[in-house]
Amino acid sequence: MLKEEREFLAVFNFSYLNIQPSCKDKGKEQWDKNQDSETEMGNKQTIFTPEQLDAYQDCTFFTRKEILRLFYRYRDLAPQLVPLSYINKPDVKLPYELIGSMAELKDNPFRQRIAEVFSEDGEGNMTLDDFLDMFSVLSEMAPRDLKAYYAFKIYDFNNDDYICKSDLEKTVNKLTRNELTPEEVSLVCDKVIDEADQDNDGKLSVEDFQHMIVRAPDFLSTFHIRI
Amino acid sequence: MEPRWAQTGRDGPDDDDWGQQQPPSSLFLQLPSNATLRFRGNVAKAWGAALDEGEPPGAPQERDGEGAREQESVPLKQLPLCMAEKRILRLREQRVAWKRSRWEQWQVGMRHLWGQVRGALLYAQVWRGSLHRIEGHFGTGIQSYFNFLRFLVLLNLGGALLMVGFVVAPNAAFEGLQLNQTQRGQNSMVNRSCLQYDPTERGLVSYFTYLMDLLSGTGFMELTHLFYGYYQNSAVDFVGFSYNIPLAYLLSVLGYFSVCLLWIVHRAVHLLKRSLVGENWELSTYSHKVFAGWDFCLAPGTAAAMKHNSLRYELRMDLEEQTLRRLMAQRSPGQRLALFSLRGALNLLVLGLLGAAFYGVYRATEYSQRAQQDTSPGQQGLVLGLLVAYLPSIVITAANQLVPLAFGLLVRLERYPLSLEIRLTLLRTVFLRLSSLLVLLFSLWTQITCHGDPAADSCRICHYNHQQHPCWETSVGQEMYKLLVFDLLVLLLVLLLVEFPRKLLVTHGPAPLARLLGQQEFLVPPNVLDLVYSQTVCWVGTAFSPLLPLLHAAKFILFFYLKKLTLFSNCRPADRTFRASISSFFFLLVLLLGLAIAWVPLLYSVFVLQPSQACGPFRGEPTMWSTLWVAIDTLPLVAREFLQFVGSLAFAVPLFLLLCILMFYLMALDHSYSCLVKELKGQLRLEGQDKVFLVTQITELS
Repeated sequence: MLKEEREFLAVFNFSYLNIQPSCKDKGKEQWDKNQDSETEMGNKQTIFTPEQLDAYQDCTFFTRKEILRLFYRYRDLAPQLVPLSYINKPDVKLPYELIGSMAELKDNPFRQRIAEVFSEDGEGNMTLDDFLDMFSVLSEMAPRDLKAYYAFKIYDFNNDDYICKSDLEKTVNKLTRNELTPEEVSLVCDKVIDEADQDNDGKLSVEDFQHMIVRAPDFLSTFHIRI
Repeated sequence: MEPRWAQTGRDGPDDDDWGQQQPPSSLFLQLPSNATLRFRGNVAKAWGAALDEGEPPGAPQERDGEGAREQESVPLKQLPLCMAEKRILRLREQRVAWKRSRWEQWQVGMRHLWGQVRGALLYAQVWRGSLHRIEGHFGTGIQSYFNFLRFLVLLNLGGALLMVGFVVAPNAAFEGLQLNQTQRGQNSMVNRSCLQYDPTERGLVSYFTYLMDLLSGTGFMELTHLFYGYYQNSAVDFVGFSYNIPLAYLLSVLGYFSVCLLWIVHRAVHLLKRSLVGENWELSTYSHKVFAGWDFCLAPGTAAAMKHNSLRYELRMDLEEQTLRRLMAQRSPGQRLALFSLRGALNLLVLGLLGAAFYGVYRATEYSQRAQQDTSPGQQGLVLGLLVAYLPSIVITAANQLVPLAFGLLVRLERYPLSLEIRLTLLRTVFLRLSSLLVLLFSLWTQITCHGDPAADSCRICHYNHQQHPCWETSVGQEMYKLLVFDLLVLLLVLLLVEFPRKLLVTHGPAPLARLLGQQEFLVPPNVLDLVYSQTVCWVGTAFSPLLPLLHAAKFILFFYLKKLTLFSNCRPADRTFRASISSFFFLLVLLLGLAIAWVPLLYSVFVLQPSQACGPFRGEPTMWSTLWVAIDTLPLVAREFLQFVGSLAFAVPLFLLLCILMFYLMALDHSYSCLVKELKGQLRLEGQDKVFLVTQITELS
């Protein structure tokens, strides 16, 4: 299939999915259902080769069962696009809109940045590899340093390897949904840079950020998505 | 003067001392310090393609990180690379794998197995689904309360296993099997009146005495396995050895306390490692709130909206507190004097409130005990009898609920910053709760030992007040049992009569009333203090009532479900985010404080008080501790001498001194490390300034 046809189908599928009325409680129900249900396990042999499953197990923090469950979640986003078998290594990429509509990410203010950081093309369109990578880093078994590294990349909106004041302002506005006044936002950003900037260049480098976030006691538990 | 980095927006040269212009960033990118970034760019090939081509494009930087990796000391899954590159690395490792020795293969296999075991253990946690749902809808702060509750359930179940396994079950088995019991203890030298103890009801018993007995542990409940008084001071011949019941009782109680201590300390250390209380964490509140403030686990919908609101509220509160602090620092000496005298007066008022509460508890206990002895329950009627029996519990609970409200009002008058306010109220409430329990025990002690005066009339014959308390250990156990039952009753009543009606009013009642009341907020600190108080009651009572840990475990399980029910039906999340990890450590500290307080009555009754002559496994002994000495005397000579040496002062004092020296050494080490860290931070700042200066010079010269 041509790439354009695939993307057209993706949009079409998405609008088909959107026909159902989406209200807040529906999202909550879906979230609850996702946590409880165990989708029917297809035969492992038909989806992945044992070699592929081993590779996934080594490269992520998930067990076989969880990898298969994540595969079904990925497939549920666009059943027409994602084949049931990855033995032939198909090249399937789901557009960002589908990823951002997942119950776990729907209300997260940073979902776009998360998808961009973990996607291959940097636009938020994710393959299954990217999908698994993302949830592996955000799982509870990932160590603090790994999470700190990716958190830095997520908060670095302009991708210049520094968190400057404009990145911080965007972060604070996303956190408070633009409900703080600009002076308050500016004050908060000044304070953050005051606290965390070690080498006094007015922005946070990777080392500054990691040094600061490692001392945040709640970082491990908040930077974590259960799926 | 605005900070240096804020001057970057200006064009042209500054009139700054440093000659600061922002130099072009391209020069910064060429510095060696930038090349240490581990991963740059996110372009990677698909399955297997990079393998054919050899080196993936990101290789040059990758090699730096990889060189530090040292052949699998860092597992593959912890590398910050994208999936395709990890796969390439994995294939490369597998090619090298056949060269590995058997030892290394075995190590890798073990590591795999250990990872799988850990994953399986994570699944096996009890109530995992419920905690997950609570975390999703209400955040990690409230989830920490339920985590604490689950820990207490497990602690009590473990303790109950110990007590039941060594005390209750053997006794039940010996009675069931009707084994031969040889009595111990010298009963011949004792006055006949001390041995009179018969709590069973005689004659026609009205129906409600059974209900009263169930609720207050008297009557038919008194001579059961539940209380101390039932056990015999005997040794049972059992399969070739003799099972010494009093020794088993004493050792299992001491063992239970030690196990609890070790378990709590282990968990506290585990939490402390995670929360890294090194320097003053208050220095980074803003950055922590901005970067670690959003709970990624939140369910969509109202939970997320509430989180946005609470973050905005918190940031605003912090900014306001900042301005308040600045104003405070600018106060004149006269204002400061007035403030300090106001604070002194309010502290005296707080002490007065505490004193009044303690006095109330003391008098209530005295009255209740006296009233229970003087009149038999049949004459009083059910409700009045229950009221009298439960009077200490009622007064303690009322004090625990009302006095913290007064604290909350008073602390607002003292005009501290908000965080200090919260902490001060919490400390005062902790003191109130644990001390009221001590006052109850003190009041019981004065009755049992006639105010500590062995020459008083009622205490002369048996060394304790045998008329009021023929079996004083059971009386103490009964008080703790009543506290347990009353706690549960209060929870049920509050749920039914306060929380559900409030929710009904707020959702269906008139709008102004709904706005005035507001929906119930689930406040974590008072709830956790409730739990700590219950657990302290359990610890104090275990020595006198071996089944108490089991009852408490059942009560906490019921608590879990009831609190979860009220959380989901009636409550909304709190306004201020509750810092889960630091506070979890703080609550474990308070739990340890409760344990320390529970040790006091235990050690006192084991070492000092004379056990009742009429009941219990220590009847006829001078103190409970003497059974241990008698048992030690039967050991071989070497063990006896060793144990005697360990128990003597010649060993204890040097050990204590050694521990003190170790503690001071560690404190000095900690202080020197924090000084070093401060110095290094200053150096880093200087280096940063040097770097910017040099780069500016280079650009100017070139």
